[in-house]
Amino acid sequence: MTRLHIDNLQVGYGNKRILNNISLTVEQGEMMALLGPSGCGKTTLLNALCGFLPIKQGDIFVGQRTISHLPAEKRNITMVFQSYALWPHMTVAQNIGYGLKVQKIKQKEIQTRVKALLDIVKLTGLEEEKVTALSGGQRQRVALARALAIRPDVLVLDEPLSNLDAKVRLAVRHEIKALQKQLGFTSLIVTHDQEEALVMADRVAILNQGNIEQVGTPEAIYHAPASAFVADFMGADNHLTWPIHPSMVGDSSVITISHTDVSQQRQCQIYFRSEDVSLSPRLTDDDKISGLMILGEVMHSAFLGHDYRISVRCGAHTFQANYQDNLPEATSVRLHVPAHALHIFDHPSEASNAPLSNAVSV
Amino acid sequence: MQQKEAQKLWLIAPAALMVSLFFLYPLCFSLYSAVTLDGALTLSHLDKAFELYSKDMLFTVIIVLVSVMLLAILSISIAALITLSPFRSVVGILGFLYRLPLFIPFIVAAQMMRTFLAKNGLMNNAFVASGLMTPMDTISFLGWSGIIITFVWKQLAFSTLLISGAMAALDDAQIRAARNLGASRLRILFGIILPQIAPSLGVALVLSTVTMMSVLSVPMMIGTGTPTMISADMAFRVDSYGDYHVANALGLVSYLICAGLAWFYLRQSLKDKGATA
Ligand SMILES: Nc1ncnc2c1ncn2[C@@H]1O[C@H](COP(=O)(O)OP(=O)(O)OP(=O)(O)O)[C@@H](O)[C@H]1O
Ligand SMILES: [Mg+2]
Repeated sequence: MTRLHIDNLQVGYGNKRILNNISLTVEQGEMMALLGPSGCGKTTLLNALCGFLPIKQGDIFVGQRTISHLPAEKRNITMVFQSYALWPHMTVAQNIGYGLKVQKIKQKEIQTRVKALLDIVKLTGLEEEKVTALSGGQRQRVALARALAIRPDVLVLDEPLSNLDAKVRLAVRHEIKALQKQLGFTSLIVTHDQEEALVMADRVAILNQGNIEQVGTPEAIYHAPASAFVADFMGADNHLTWPIHPSMVGDSSVITISHTDVSQQRQCQIYFRSEDVSLSPRLTDDDKISGLMILGEVMHSAFLGHDYRISVRCGAHTFQANYQDNLPEATSVRLHVPAHALHIFDHPSEASNAPLSNAVSV
Repeated sequence: MQQKEAQKLWLIAPAALMVSLFFLYPLCFSLYSAVTLDGALTLSHLDKAFELYSKDMLFTVIIVLVSVMLLAILSISIAALITLSPFRSVVGILGFLYRLPLFIPFIVAAQMMRTFLAKNGLMNNAFVASGLMTPMDTISFLGWSGIIITFVWKQLAFSTLLISGAMAALDDAQIRAARNLGASRLRILFGIILPQIAPSLGVALVLSTVTMMSVLSVPMMIGTGTPTMISADMAFRVDSYGDYHVANALGLVSYLICAGLAWFYLRQSLKDKGATA
């Protein structure tokens, strides 16, 4: 296992450019999550790494060696596919041992290594089973074992968990993570589930329309999104544009903000998470509070299990807040978001690629 | 319920009637005619057929087997090129070209091959004109080799179509998975693709066999007379002697040859199923 370094990579289909100047480094033994919306080019990037797609420009290094010119079979990067891509005419052991057989390793040695891998992925005793007789979670583990068998320099996983149901997904997620810690392989995992990325990865890279928006630890990405897109994508589902146009505010609703970075003169975008909103049904107007303060009324509330998700209307805006009780419609409420939970970015029309700062520190 | 069943039977009656009238009845009649004389069972027609044409039967079997083998090799190669080749534009042209013979009837193909393969045909003329050969060295490909060439040329499109269709239906990720484990394209063909498309390959070859056994124009136009294929002998028996009995006996023999191959294929595919299930 070695360090993977992607330098200024450009990839496309025909004349259509999909990835623009991607630069990314995955350190040895690190698990990097590649997170992005559907169609942003995640699979394309993995295919380019594996050599299934020609690259237009740039370079890929594994350790010190460049591999951009090598065909797929010489790159020693293996992939775990979303569809598993197991070979149905082979047994579990044959699937896992295939890469070793290709390397002309002795049958005896293959058997011991396959046995060891089956132990690691907790499939002991299933070696003679047909892969078509396995459950989804078991198949995914066979696919993982197969990809790890040849001890690749880098392991890439393309949405390995998206075909599993919610419960199995949680289990396999932890297994992959534990395995990664135990074996210490360098890996790049693609997902469009932000929670999955936060839980599994050492670092997260956010991809948007073929560009990397931000790379950082899960904490940094979550608490200090570098752009409006990242904030939105990482679950900051409330959004407003400041200053608020008078037509957007109704008679009974009030939005006030006190924050060092926000003034009436500067246009900006404000994002915050519904779990950072504290909602109170009493309308005590306290001017000394810092941060964002909103007066509005309840539109509807949805039961989430642990608490309720309350939709609050304030003029033309709708905000989401978490609250422990159900609230009847049209209740007047006050929302408060502390200053540190506000993510503030310059208005995109003024500075689209130069976000004001990381999240605001007050 | 009972009535419903009866109604369903009525629904299939027209089709069943057509099949039995125009297919089963003639088939049974010709089998019957092959083994009877004036209503009494006899093996004399079969005896006579073997006595006169056993060489032709062997010739037929050899021609068909060789053609089928060449067919398998060529159509697997073409389909594999189409599926695995990294050169997409060449593949596009190949994908178009190989289908052309599908739309050319056997008799036209036979005529084409006759003018192409003859001693002073198109192919030899081209060789002579390009200085690769002198007119003295030219040889005629009419005869057994011409028959094989024509059969393979004509059936290639059909079997390649079936085989490359089956290959295209495989998940691309299966091939990619093998590639990034280090397998070469050839290895992927034999280890990953062929085992999975074996049933389609079998169907393509069995159907091609049956077609070759039944084509009359090719042995008549490209064959050199003796030995020839069973289908030509049957036509000869009927045309020259009005001898339907021996013709039917020959038909029975070619039917049995096909049945033998089909049985072999079915047994093989059942065995594979048993192994995989
Ligand atoms: N074979 C192809 N030919 C042309 N364009 C393609 C091809 N495959 C993908 N694309 C385009 O490339 C872009 C990125 O696709 P990609 O498969 O990398 O998305 P993704 O990030 O993996 O999305 P998802 O999360 O849905 O899997 C898409 O806009 C798609 O239209
Ligand atoms: Mg994808």
